[in-house]
Amino acid sequence: MRLNQIRFCSLLSYCPHGRSSEIQHSKQIMIALKTDAFVEEPPIAMSDWVARAIQRQRGEAPFAQFLDSNTVLIPTPRSSLMRRDSLWVPHRIATALVREGIGKEVMPCLVRVKPVPKAAFSAAEERPTVLQHYKTMEVQGRLIKPEAITLVDDIVTRGATLLGAANLLADIFPEARISAFAAMRTISNSSEFKGTFAPCDGTIRYREESGDTLRRP
Amino acid sequence: METLKGTKISTLTPQELLGRPLNDVERKYAPPKLYLASNEKVPLPIPRSAIVGSRRASPESMRTAGEIAKVLVRKGVIIVSGLAEGIDTAAHKASIEGGGRTIAVLGTPVDRVYPKENFKLQEEIMHRHYAVSQFPIGHRTRPKDFVLRNRTMALLCDASIIVEAGETSGSLHQGWEALRLGRPLFIWSSLMKDSALSWPKKMAQYGAVELDDPEQVLDVLPSSERILEVSP
Repeated sequence: MRLNQIRFCSLLSYCPHGRSSEIQHSKQIMIALKTDAFVEEPPIAMSDWVARAIQRQRGEAPFAQFLDSNTVLIPTPRSSLMRRDSLWVPHRIATALVREGIGKEVMPCLVRVKPVPKAAFSAAEERPTVLQHYKTMEVQGRLIKPEAITLVDDIVTRGATLLGAANLLADIFPEARISAFAAMRTISNSSEFKGTFAPCDGTIRYREESGDTLRRP
Repeated sequence: METLKGTKISTLTPQELLGRPLNDVERKYAPPKLYLASNEKVPLPIPRSAIVGSRRASPESMRTAGEIAKVLVRKGVIIVSGLAEGIDTAAHKASIEGGGRTIAVLGTPVDRVYPKENFKLQEEIMHRHYAVSQFPIGHRTRPKDFVLRNRTMALLCDASIIVEAGETSGSLHQGWEALRLGRPLFIWSSLMKDSALSWPKKMAQYGAVELDDPEQVLDVLPSSERILEVSP
């Protein structure tokens, strides 16, 4: 693999453990995000809510460097196979971002050709590795040669999907600068959870000794 | 088919029944109108989970459907099913016995009863719960209506559970539509382990999840309140 590390940014956070009202609220936002549900009043799809929130902060760190007007947005595939006309949340987020004037265009070229276990329903040791993600995706369709790519995902946990996808893209576009945006990040330790709205930037690093990834923060 | 008389029927759009807009993926197979027989308030309460399966289900699967329904209604989940014989009937009855609410999504107009054995059950659902159909009064029922109904049921639910189904069961249409809509689809574990069936493994490749504990469903369902503020 060409890339041992990528930079990422995210807007929201949720914690799968804990009973506090803030944590319960963050779980509800996560469920809404996974189905691109309508929220607030008047109703707005979560993908549009995320794009508008980014638009309001686009000039500020951490988003300015990840989502500038020259960046091509590439949605990450689901862990499962997908039929045509299916709901593809990362693609909807990327499309909503471009509608808000963020990013140059959406290039939906990454396709899952072999399903991998869903991280959310797998024990830690059974979660797919970066290499498994890398080997089960393909780049297909119309391609332009981007200077900068931002991978777009709905939720990042350890970052294995994003790092696997980034390496596949690095094979095809070796000169492109590749980073990632996830609308939401998982915070496993409830004591580190500071609220649903928690913009941040950080890194996803490959750990050769174990084959897994380390996301910080 | 038996006919129900004197039922109050309202005509609504799916958006009015759900209390929210539809996205483009949902609009693809959404019926333009729905006919609701109910004395309860609209929009429909949330969260809603379908429990569906074979008409000629085994006694064990019927018990399983009932147990799943009872676990979910205890947590305030509204059980949706198709009022057919077998799994559907078991799910509706267990929801009512468990003190919960249930929604019947019919393959016939709301003034018709099919199967006729469910006359009393349909009457009770119309009076105290919800019965919904996409077919207007007077519509002559065709076999394909049950396929269309299954897609509509997927649209009206936050999650779907298939408890028992053969290779040609109508419930599979609901399963594929739930996956297309990006909604959680659960397949009862004994189906996943049944080597004579190919569809559970195929659906698992497209995102269906094996279910062996009804509590798993609660982790993916929205709460009973709409989200009015994502971030304070």
